[in-house]
Amino acid sequence: MSVVRRRRLGRPSSVATVIAIVFCAVWAFPTYWMVKTAFTPRPDALSSTPTFLPLNPTLENFETAIFQAGFFDNLRSSLIVTVGAVVFAVLLGLFAAAALSRFRFGGRRTILVIVLLIQMIPGAATLIPQYLVFNEAGLLGTYAGLILAYVSMTLPFSIWMMRSFFLALPAELEEAAQLDGASTWQVLTRILFPLVLPGVIATSVFTFINAWNDYLIAYTFMKDQSMYTLPVWLASFTSPLTGTDVSGQMAASVLFSLPVVVFFVLLQRKLVTGMSAGAVKG
Amino acid sequence: MTTRPRTGRAFAERRLPPVLLMAPAGLVLAAVTFVPLVVMVFMAFTDYDQRSLFTGEFSFVGVQQFADILTDGDFWAAFFRTIWFTAALVIGSIVIGVAISHLMTKLGGGMRTVVTVVLVFAWAMPNVAASLVWNWMFQPGYGVVNWLLTQLRVFGDMTATDWGANTGLAFTSIWLLVVWQAVPFIALTTYAAETQVGPEYIEAARLDGASEPRIYRTVTLPFLKPTILLVTILSVIWDFNVFNQIWLVSKGGPDGSTSTLGVFTYITAFVGLDLGTGAALALITALLLAAITSVYIRHLIRSGEDDL
Repeated sequence: MSVVRRRRLGRPSSVATVIAIVFCAVWAFPTYWMVKTAFTPRPDALSSTPTFLPLNPTLENFETAIFQAGFFDNLRSSLIVTVGAVVFAVLLGLFAAAALSRFRFGGRRTILVIVLLIQMIPGAATLIPQYLVFNEAGLLGTYAGLILAYVSMTLPFSIWMMRSFFLALPAELEEAAQLDGASTWQVLTRILFPLVLPGVIATSVFTFINAWNDYLIAYTFMKDQSMYTLPVWLASFTSPLTGTDVSGQMAASVLFSLPVVVFFVLLQRKLVTGMSAGAVKG
Repeated sequence: MTTRPRTGRAFAERRLPPVLLMAPAGLVLAAVTFVPLVVMVFMAFTDYDQRSLFTGEFSFVGVQQFADILTDGDFWAAFFRTIWFTAALVIGSIVIGVAISHLMTKLGGGMRTVVTVVLVFAWAMPNVAASLVWNWMFQPGYGVVNWLLTQLRVFGDMTATDWGANTGLAFTSIWLLVVWQAVPFIALTTYAAETQVGPEYIEAARLDGASEPRIYRTVTLPFLKPTILLVTILSVIWDFNVFNQIWLVSKGGPDGSTSTLGVFTYITAFVGLDLGTGAALALITALLLAAITSVYIRHLIRSGEDDL
């Protein structure tokens, strides 16, 4: 197979290579422009003739970004809600996925279909009623409320993804352990959970990206500026004196995007299959 | 040891453990997803507004809000805008994505890796950051896009063009932004499928003297059909719900002329604080999306049942 495939793919056409170079130049440009501006001194960035190479690279924009009002407070908020969402979505998802893959019981199919349908509900549709329910429950403007909103957003996919990891394990595992006298709980915690660790890690990354990137829910639910998350901070990034400071804003964008980009590069293959299953809501 | 009939799973006979294992996730989904959905349907028939948030007082208005919405010209403008903009986004990103996938099969290994890396970077950028980059690139005065267009000497001096002040230009820049971020997933998914096309079929067609475009149309495309169908449906769902990019680039302006149903609903509910009407709009939007994707939903339900 690989020999045949190499023969077919191994004759790169020069026309295709030229088109690919043009495509890469266009598609990489926004990313390049963000990074380039982030390293350009502020007066140079606001020049009527743009320079395409960072001639006087500087780190001062990153300093500006980090010492911009609210950065540390909002970084802390982002970390609290992201870690909270990951822990709960993965833990609850792990238990539910175990139940939906390693046990047989009536109504299991119905539950699976419900999980899939919940996954389909657009986030914008649940935003308004969640706002009302959280208002009644006193959860608006609290980290707990935001974590709950993120858990509900990511849990269906978390269940679905980890279930596929459980299904890959042979049934003989728990049969043998039970014959040796292990309890159900022991089989789960000592045998099954450690074996689905790769699934737990992949699901954690998906949940992290969803919670870290969210702008709309945090922007709508949080009231106290010091409790905003980084996307909200980033979107309102302005200099107190002269309005928007693009160099600082691009440096802040680089810092904010960095962890997500690292995860994408590491998990690119899993993301392609994961996205098809609805892992990251658009 | 072999006398006990096998039921496939050793845990098969236990009833309590699965219920206990599912209970936490079930409770959270019931409280934070299911209850709000019921509340949404309920609220859609009430005049819940800013005052109600504090006093908890509101009254039933029956189908009045639906009647108001369906006779509101702004709603219908947003409705049709959402449909055609979604179509433009889906068509643009699918055509480019599928073309890039095919391009990748014609490249040497090194160049293909470069394309993949470029795609992954565009894909990975959080959309809030991407929207800010867009605002900067399209900024009047210092934006690099206006500078480049001016250098082309085709459109005249575009240095001061404000892309946010003109409906067509605002839509163009938002379209470019969303398509830029949507193409990578489509290209990489389609490429993964395209590498699975049996080389013997392509070789046979080539020996029969078929041209490259004809081979692509008659051998490759039919093979890719299920994959393209899947990414198209996912794109419809995602593009229909695009919010951040519109909100951060144009805020739905100028004069609401780029506001899609999502933006229209958000402004009604959280700027006008008319949450009852917002709930009715969200309900209409969700039902519309469900209708558009009903074929896919039916497929999901069937696959959920086949799965076990």
